[in-house]
Formats: sequence, C-alpha cells, structure tokens
Amino acid sequence: MNAPLLSVEAISKRFGGLQAVKDLSFRLEEGEILGLLGPNGAGKTTAFNMIAGFFRPDEGRVLLAGRNVAGLKPWDICKAGIGRTFQLSKPFGDLSVVENLMVGGFARSSDRRRIRTKAEEIAVFLGLEAKAETEAHNLTAFDRRKLELGRALSTEPRLLLMDEVVAGATPSEAVEMVALVRRVRERGVSVLIVEHVMKVIMALSDRVLVMDRGALIADGRPQEVVTSPDVLKAYFGERYVVPRA
Amino acid sequence: MSVTPHPHPVPLTRTTSPMGFSRGGIALAVLSGAAALLPLVTADSFLIHSAIMVLFFAYMATSWNFLCGYVGQLSLGHAMFSGVGGYVSVLLFTTYGVSPWIGMLVGGVVAAALSVLIGYPTFRLKGPYFALTTIAFAEIVRIWVENTDSFLGFRIKGAEGLVVPGVGGDSFWAFQFSGKAPYYYIILAMLALAILATMVMERSKLGYCLKAIRGDRDAAEALGISPTRYTQAAFAISAFMTALGGSFYAQFFRYINPERNMGLELSIDMALMSIIGGQGTPFGPLVGALLLMPLGEISRGYLGGQFLGLHLVIYGVVLMITVLYFPKGLIAPITALANRLFGRGGRP
Repeated sequence: MNAPLLSVEAISKRFGGLQAVKDLSFRLEEGEILGLLGPNGAGKTTAFNMIAGFFRPDEGRVLLAGRNVAGLKPWDICKAGIGRTFQLSKPFGDLSVVENLMVGGFARSSDRRRIRTKAEEIAVFLGLEAKAETEAHNLTAFDRRKLELGRALSTEPRLLLMDEVVAGATPSEAVEMVALVRRVRERGVSVLIVEHVMKVIMALSDRVLVMDRGALIADGRPQEVVTSPDVLKAYFGERYVVPRA
Repeated sequence: MSVTPHPHPVPLTRTTSPMGFSRGGIALAVLSGAAALLPLVTADSFLIHSAIMVLFFAYMATSWNFLCGYVGQLSLGHAMFSGVGGYVSVLLFTTYGVSPWIGMLVGGVVAAALSVLIGYPTFRLKGPYFALTTIAFAEIVRIWVENTDSFLGFRIKGAEGLVVPGVGGDSFWAFQFSGKAPYYYIILAMLALAILATMVMERSKLGYCLKAIRGDRDAAEALGISPTRYTQAAFAISAFMTALGGSFYAQFFRYINPERNMGLELSIDMALMSIIGGQGTPFGPLVGALLLMPLGEISRGYLGGQFLGLHLVIYGVVLMITVLYFPKGLIAPITALANRLFGRGGRP
C-alpha cells in the first residue's frame, strides 16, 4: 500500500498546565471511515482542531499524502484538501442553501457558473434541493447539519473531518446521517469522525480509535475496541458495568 | 468572476441580493436615467445643490457599504479617506497644477495604501473595538492635519483649510464649472459606477467571501477563506472610492478643511445612511441618503442657527425606528414591494 492519506505523527498540545493531547499518532488510509472516540475531555476535539489547522501542534507532524500540513492556517489546510464540519453548525444565516454551498466552491475555482452547478449538485446530494433557495437561518437544526456537511464537501476535500455529526439528532435523523456519510465516502472522500454516540460509530466506522487523557488507548475494528478492558475502564471507571450497546 | 448578466442554464435563478443583478442593473439604469433629467426640468440652483448633496452622501455611503455593509464591521473612520483624497487632489493642483481628475485617482491610491496600514492591526478586532479604533485613527489624522502647517513641502495650512484657486469659467480639466449642473452629472455618474461596482462585487468571489466572513469567521476560514486577505482587499477598494468622493467634495466647494472633509460627523453620516437604508445591499445606502439628507437639510434650513445638531437627533430617532421595525434597512420593504409589483415574488 502507498503512503496513507493522513498520517498523524506524535502531535502534542498543552494549554497552560493541561496536557490536552500527548504524543498522538495514527494513520488513516485512503477511502477509510475512521472513528475517534473517547470520554469527555479526552482530547478528541483538540486533536481534531490541530489537524484542521485551528490549533498549531506544540510538537509533531500531520502529513496529508506525505505533505506536512501541521501549523498551516485553516484556509490553507482547506486548500490542501482537508474539509471540516463544526460541532455546532455554523451556517451563513442570511445566505441561501445554494449560496452557502457556493462559498466553499470558490476555494477551488473562480468560475461562478461551474461553482453554482456544483453547489446545486451538492444540494441534491444532501436532499436539500427543495430548500435550495431557503435562507439558512430558516432551516431546521438537522438540515443545518446536513448543510454544514455539504459546505465542507463543496471545497472538494480528500479528507473530511466531522465533529459530532448526530449530536441532538432524532434516531431517524441519525440513521439518515449515517447513510449520508457512507455516500460521502462513495464520492471518494475519506472521513475522520469524532463522535459520542456509540451506535453511530459502530455503524459507520471501518476502524475506531479511542483516546483517553490525551493519549491513544485503543485502535482496531469497532467490535474489538468496544469490548477492550482499557476502553471500558476509560468510559465507565474501574468498576465498569457491561455496556448495553 | 462573471460580470455579464448571464442567462441561467438551471431553474434556480434567485440571486444573492434582494434585487438580482439583472433586475438591479435595470433599476440602476432607470434611476440614473430619471435622475439625469433633473437639471433639464429645473434651473433652481438650491434644488440642484441639494440634489448634489444627496447624491454625494449616497456615493459616500455606498463606498462605506462596499466594505462595512458586506463584511459586517462598523467603521467610523472612513472620513479620513475622504480627507486624504481631497487634500491630495487639491495639493497636487495648487502645487503642481495637476488636473484634479488625476489628483483624485492619486488620492484614491494613497487612501488605499493608508487602508492597508490601518487594516492590518485592526481587522483582528471585533464589534465596538473595531469601531473605536477606526475613530481613533481618523481623529489622529484629522488632528494632525489641523495642527500641521506644511508637510513634505506641501502647504496644508492646518485648520484654516485650503482654497482651490479659480481658473475662471468652465474648465473640465481643472474640474471647475460655473454652473452646478456639471457637478450634478459628475456625482451622479460616480454614484452609478459605485452601485454598479457593488453589484459586480456582490456576485464575485470577493462578495461571497465577505458575506461568509460576516456570517461566521471560523466557518469561513474552514472553507478556504483568509479573512484578513479579503477584508483588506475590500477595505482598499472602499477607501479608494471614499477618497474619490472627498476629491469631488473639495472641488465642488473649492475649499477643503479638516473639520468638514474628514470630521467624525462625515464618518457617522456614511455609516448611518447605509445602516438605515440597508447595509449589505447595493441600493440601501442610496435609500438612506435619500431619506436622511433632506431631513437634515430641512431641520437645518428651517430652524436656522437655533438647535444646532438637531439633525443628528433626528437621525438618531430614524435609526431607532429603522432598527426596531426594519432591521435589514428600509430597502427591505421597498424590495418586497418591487417584487410584488413586478412579479417574480419574494421568498419561495
């Protein structure tokens, strides 16, 4: 196999006295959906933000297809081929759905007509074609979340970083989102997904990483990882109960 | 960037602004054409003078809106660029005999350069901090001019101001005309071009980037937009446009001084007219100027020297009413009405 699409090499981040992430290393292969799990405060979001360029790692490298992108600004990371969504969706409220999707298109092209065509294609992909001209602040919370995903796709990333895609979604919406993320992968985009909801990670991920206290404690297929004693300990404490999931 | 009013191959034709480009273009052509008739139907000098002032403030507010309306930052220092434009063109004319037409472009370039110096440290600031910093910069420049007699060999004459020496009669080259109508057509053309520039920008990459930054800075960054870069580009263009207006103002009155040409009041007027008319839209600033300028003139004209500053009180009241009832500016109900009258209805 060639070099992995994403290779994170010993990144660390410290906020004052708090070591949020310490010596984190992992790889993500082309076409893979990789889940990143961990209890609150494990350092998932910090790791995520370092890859996305919102924090500069204190140490370590982040290689995208062999090129070090650690410490680049978010907009350069985007241009390098990494898209991201936010935990709280941040639509441009007074722009329509299609206009929201067009903003990302300008990262790759200046041809307005091509960008618009592409944005409309993504609106159809999201199932938002009927709302294409709706201003984003009039969307339901779940539609905003889909728009958030679509907007990241509009920058034509090779790797998509997703932060908590189903937080606050109803069970049926969660199912829809899982299907959508699978279809994102079918478009040739690899996915790194940070998620709290076990069911989603289990259904979606080819492989799962688990972090605790800033370090990696497990890496493997979803079924193996959730039964690993280290993981159960991290989530439920020493006297863990057997999880239902 | 597409500048041509294009036929859409796809059915989704609603465009970015409340008024679409082609409809906005038609509106602009009709309004400019109608406005061009004014000097033909009246020779009333006071009326034409007042119309020039309305168009001038509409132009200044449009220049302000080019940056501030689209990126959502409140600059209260734009008068500084007006002053730079005015002083540069007047000084080049009085010192070297350079035509004010060239001088005004030079002033625009100087103002754009100044905007880079100011933009770099201030764009990181948000909300009131940005507004306060722009006031500070503008006041520093104004006070400096007021207290400077000569600079680099140019006679600035401090607070006294500069008089543009008359060349006698009409001279296009010297930007001097005996009647008011030529000034009227000049500022009308400048305003039409400024609105056109805004409409083109709105649909370009720059326009989308600015609106994205206004919507959410972090999200814009994640979509490949460097906020500083695009804000700076718009700031430079906005400063350039404002400086041209400042040159016009100086030529029209053939006099320039720091208070009138670069005072805080001018900055506030530009911002207020845009906000009341509808910032972030091509025609909003024009609507604001059309409403506020006559209000100001009437209150000043009829109350004479009593109640100095009453027009500012009136502006304040209008601002409050607008913010309460038309938060998107007075252009919003006008656009809704136009949509109803000319079909192609409002929101889907």
